[in-house]
Amino acid sequence: MPSNYGFRLIFVGVTILVMAGAGLFLKGFLIPDSFGRYGSYRADTIPEEASLPIKHATNSSCFSCHSYEAKIHKAGRHSTISCEFCHSTYADHIRDNKKFAALPVKKEGDITVLCLRCHNTEIKARSQEVIKTVAMPAHLADQNVKLTHNCNQCHHVHAPLKYIDRARKITGIMEKTL
Amino acid sequence: MDAAAMGAAMFGSNYVFPNDLHVHWSMMIVLYPYITGLVDGAFIIAALYYLFKVESLKPVARFSLLFALAFLCCATLPLLLHLTRPERNLNMLITPSPSSAMAGFGYIYAISMALVIFLVLFVYRPDLVRLRAQSSGKMKLIYRALTFDSKDLSPRALELDRKIIKVLVGFGIPVAAVLHGYVGFIFGGVKANPTWSTPLMPVIFLFSACVSGISAIVLAYIVIRKFKGRTIDAACIKTSINTLTGFFILAFTFEMLEVFSHSYLKTGYHHMVEGLLNGPLASSFWLWQVKIGSLIPLFLLAVLTLIRLKDSWYTFLAAVVSAILLLQVFIMRWNVVIGGQLMSKSARGYVEFHPVWFDKEGIIAVIAVMIIPFVILYVLGKIFPFWSREEMG
Amino acid sequence: MKPIDPHKSSSEPVHLPDQAEQLNQMGNKMDRRTFIQKVMNGTIAGSLLLVFPLTAGTFVPEEEIPGVRDEPYDIFDQQFAFVVDITRCIGCGACCVADKREYNVPDGNYRTWVERYVKDLDDNIHVDSPNGGLDGYQTPRKDLDNRTRDTFFVPKLCNMCKEAPCVQVCPVGATFKTPDGFVLVDSTRCVGCAYCIQACPYSVRFINPRTRVVEKCTWCYHRVRKGLLPACVEVCPTGARKFGSLKDETSEVYKILRGEGVLTVLRREMGTWPGLYYKGARMEVI
Repeated sequence: MPSNYGFRLIFVGVTILVMAGAGLFLKGFLIPDSFGRYGSYRADTIPEEASLPIKHATNSSCFSCHSYEAKIHKAGRHSTISCEFCHSTYADHIRDNKKFAALPVKKEGDITVLCLRCHNTEIKARSQEVIKTVAMPAHLADQNVKLTHNCNQCHHVHAPLKYIDRARKITGIMEKTL
Repeated sequence: MDAAAMGAAMFGSNYVFPNDLHVHWSMMIVLYPYITGLVDGAFIIAALYYLFKVESLKPVARFSLLFALAFLCCATLPLLLHLTRPERNLNMLITPSPSSAMAGFGYIYAISMALVIFLVLFVYRPDLVRLRAQSSGKMKLIYRALTFDSKDLSPRALELDRKIIKVLVGFGIPVAAVLHGYVGFIFGGVKANPTWSTPLMPVIFLFSACVSGISAIVLAYIVIRKFKGRTIDAACIKTSINTLTGFFILAFTFEMLEVFSHSYLKTGYHHMVEGLLNGPLASSFWLWQVKIGSLIPLFLLAVLTLIRLKDSWYTFLAAVVSAILLLQVFIMRWNVVIGGQLMSKSARGYVEFHPVWFDKEGIIAVIAVMIIPFVILYVLGKIFPFWSREEMG
Repeated sequence: MKPIDPHKSSSEPVHLPDQAEQLNQMGNKMDRRTFIQKVMNGTIAGSLLLVFPLTAGTFVPEEEIPGVRDEPYDIFDQQFAFVVDITRCIGCGACCVADKREYNVPDGNYRTWVERYVKDLDDNIHVDSPNGGLDGYQTPRKDLDNRTRDTFFVPKLCNMCKEAPCVQVCPVGATFKTPDGFVLVDSTRCVGCAYCIQACPYSVRFINPRTRVVEKCTWCYHRVRKGLLPACVEVCPTGARKFGSLKDETSEVYKILRGEGVLTVLRREMGTWPGLYYKGARMEVI
């Protein structure tokens, strides 16, 4: 038979256990609804993440309006390049199916810098089977072109060999370049 | 290319992954294991007296419980300062992930806090009942609450108290071991980091925790008693120092074993660890942690254990050793936590860490977090007397 | 002007199954139906199928991953693969730019990056990644003593480990693996303890200084669920990054994974079982 003091301690102990039990029970209300559906995480994150707005579309999205550029781009060497890399993303241009802003178009010296990201032969890692590279301004000197020229003064940016091939045809020099 | 060159060839030039430049676990995460380590070590002293009946530790037994409680109160502070979303900290209690070592924190901390509080209450009950009778007003109410509103000091009640204390301490030892051991496992369970991922990590952390806690008790006891002009129980210091020696030898052995076994086995990416210890961490590890922090105390502990010294000399050297070991354990935590992050996962480079003054994880914050437990200890001392009348001396 | 999709024979808008049709097709899989129902009712107020929020109208980009969009999406029966072909990477950095744009990644943090490996004449390897490759690699390394024997580029991104250490260590269940194999972060539950960052052997995770929670590459889950390729794959001009469903036997990744040839993964000894495969990776790549 526990003493008065013993009872008191039992009372204290039971109170603590009850409070702890209540805490663990109440914690259940704080757990988000979808938690535990697939595992130890909030399953609603999945549709939330899946419905984030996309910024890039695809090239076909651009072509759906820009059919003129589409024709040229698809026929040229740059057909594998994304419009959005050079011109910024679809979401910066179209909202609610309407154009709300113009996309930047690079000009002059900036074009050369952009071209050289891929076509610079300085970094020997560009396999010639994958991409043709040139050294600037050596390339200009080789082609007998003024050294202040930018790439797009000879190469159509969307189809780089378009004018080159035409020029070769006209001048009768149709040698293989690649 | 031979093996040595292979390792060297990894270091053509210093390359760090772009996301590795920032050291995420900063000084607060150095402080957290340090604080729980102090709690553990202080608890060991209490356990030795209350469960294992080491009578010579009586003078510091109750004090070490209060010390543990004061530091335990502050254990969450470094963590809250570290989180980038501290307002969500309760997520650890609401949805703890069963596979994560860190998730154990909320519940383990709550249980150990409850345990230490009740231990303090039961250990101090006779004094608190007496103080209740002597005090008035607010203090009387506090003492009443702390004694479960009971004045029963009969032998039967005291016997029940003793049994409960034994049970609580008995549970307390594994709880304390988990409280600090899980921190060691947090590091030990990270396979991506070559310094951290070792089964020895919880063991090293636990033993050095005991070292830091015992040193803290010894130093605090000596300093407070000297400050108050009271005598120092030589037998108590001796037993503490002997225990400290045992734990420190184990801690140091495991720390060195860790380094040398990796170096001998030449396990994958050991070159990163060696490069770390001989490079960015050279002075912090070899000079401060090993030479100054470990070898000097080993020598001093040998002197204290083997040579017969006058009590005043013994006390003085004990205080010096304790101070050095407190520093050593802090540096060891620093070298593990921050040092481990200096190696990039690229296995090809190191980053630098520069502590700042004014940041939520800065030097000022660290100092503040270390001062708060002492303030709490001071307040606790006003409610629970550190030493009984006989021990006042 | 009404947009015309040149790939469609008529200018009719693409018809996507409505909600009722979808639920009927679910059959008796109770938990999945409830899931879709909850999704429909809860998050997008009844509008269909994880809409394309950039166009509320008729135009929808054409599907690039067959089998993901048209039928009801069975989250339990998907298998995606990402293959990086190092022999084709030219270090242009288009992927890094696209990723930054798609997610507004803050400066100094990288969801994906491209590394340059330089081997000199003494067979020493020098690796660098200036600004994560965002500006491309226009100039060779100037700080090396020896001449270069070989250079190659290695794109890096989340490995979507099948046994992800980041998922294992997250204390609050904020990072997890979806039933369709993507490791995602729940930014409403992350507390920013950075344990997952420590645990990731590939260093693909970081704390976003603006949102103050952990972020990482998600293989553009929001794009994949709409049947589109991840942004980095979309813009890669040489086909160094490849993505597809292994349920589609005509996809390039299926052919690569099931075909001959050597594929490697990073840090195989870590036992994370990455879902990201490298083709043509040299032994120096870590």
